[in-house]
Amino acid sequence: MNLMANILLNVIISFLVGSVLLGLQRKVMARIQMRPGPPIIQHLLHTFKFFLKESAFPKTAAMPFYIAITAMLCVIWVAAVIVGPVTEGSLLLFFAIYAIHKIVEHNAGSSSGSPYGKLSCVRAVFSAAAEVPLFAVLIIIYLKTGTMILSNIVTYQNQHGALLLSIPLAALMFFVLILSKSPYSPFAITKGKDIVSGYETEHFGLLRGYLMFSESIAWYMLLWIFLTVFIGGLNPVGYLIGMVVITAFVAFINALTPILNPNHSVMTQVTLAFIGIVGSVILLLY
Amino acid sequence: MYDQIFYLLYILSFVIGSIAGLVFSYKKYTEPFITRNIDLIALILAIIGWMLVLNYPLISIIPSFVTIAIGVFLIAIVIGMRPGYGRYETIIGFALAGLIWILRTVIL
Repeated sequence: MNLMANILLNVIISFLVGSVLLGLQRKVMARIQMRPGPPIIQHLLHTFKFFLKESAFPKTAAMPFYIAITAMLCVIWVAAVIVGPVTEGSLLLFFAIYAIHKIVEHNAGSSSGSPYGKLSCVRAVFSAAAEVPLFAVLIIIYLKTGTMILSNIVTYQNQHGALLLSIPLAALMFFVLILSKSPYSPFAITKGKDIVSGYETEHFGLLRGYLMFSESIAWYMLLWIFLTVFIGGLNPVGYLIGMVVITAFVAFINALTPILNPNHSVMTQVTLAFIGIVGSVILLLY
Repeated sequence: MYDQIFYLLYILSFVIGSIAGLVFSYKKYTEPFITRNIDLIALILAIIGWMLVLNYPLISIIPSFVTIAIGVFLIAIVIGMRPGYGRYETIIGFALAGLIWILRTVIL
């Protein structure tokens, strides 16, 4: 199969699976809260719906940046699919993609001109200070395996066992990163309901569709990276089971915890990052 | 690479089945899930679906990916029904198919 077909196949899979997983998360949360909840495919239906809705552009929006930012978000997460399942490239590239995601989140909020978007934009910078240190996990993985290439990390795990067992605190740190990106998470301050929908508030119709499309791929990719890096090469069914388990676990946490205020959110993540980094280094040394 | 194509086929089956289940159940049931009756049609679909997914080797004349895709489609119709509906049918279907899977792989 040629590269373009491979990319297309993986992007469609990641979008569909990511959407269904985000729907599953809402369903699990609803059942915990004694509500019937939406159908599992609700997130996917929402995404399709937005692609068919009329697009409106606020007068305060900074054109053409306001439109371009949604395309950029799509591009970076499609790039993540290429770096991940398609080529099994470097984790450093994935870090770069995540860093750009934070910048895009920031600029999507500021370019809309909405006060809610601007607050979200400030929070995106604020939360980056907490989330980006969690990527210290990459250094720990490098110190343990001697490589940043995903395919080599999988080979290492085939020979030495899953990294989840040898560097569990690094896995915990990455899990916190996943948690922070899930909707309704205690750390999801950029989309806290006190600021309506955060940086997405003023993106309507087609543009919102692009944002939701990217969110689905982002969720799939974060789970894919976690499973690949900490458990090793799985078959598609193994990945699916792993993703469903993590999504359900995240839904439990989200259903039972309120969204923290920005200060508490950042300080909690920084504390977890500190414990994770120091603990992992100690585990590596002894 | 064929694994991924089959994987996509199953996901598409699930999504299309869920949408079909949602549309049909909203037409069939005009009120929320209150009466806890078992829908016979949904029960049959769930049993056949789970049977096809878990016990596809029993049907050797059809390629396994076709059997699984049809099974996933039928399961999704029942799971994707209006919230609450299809819950008991799914559990019964999974239990029966699981029982046969255990008989087939562990006991026999």
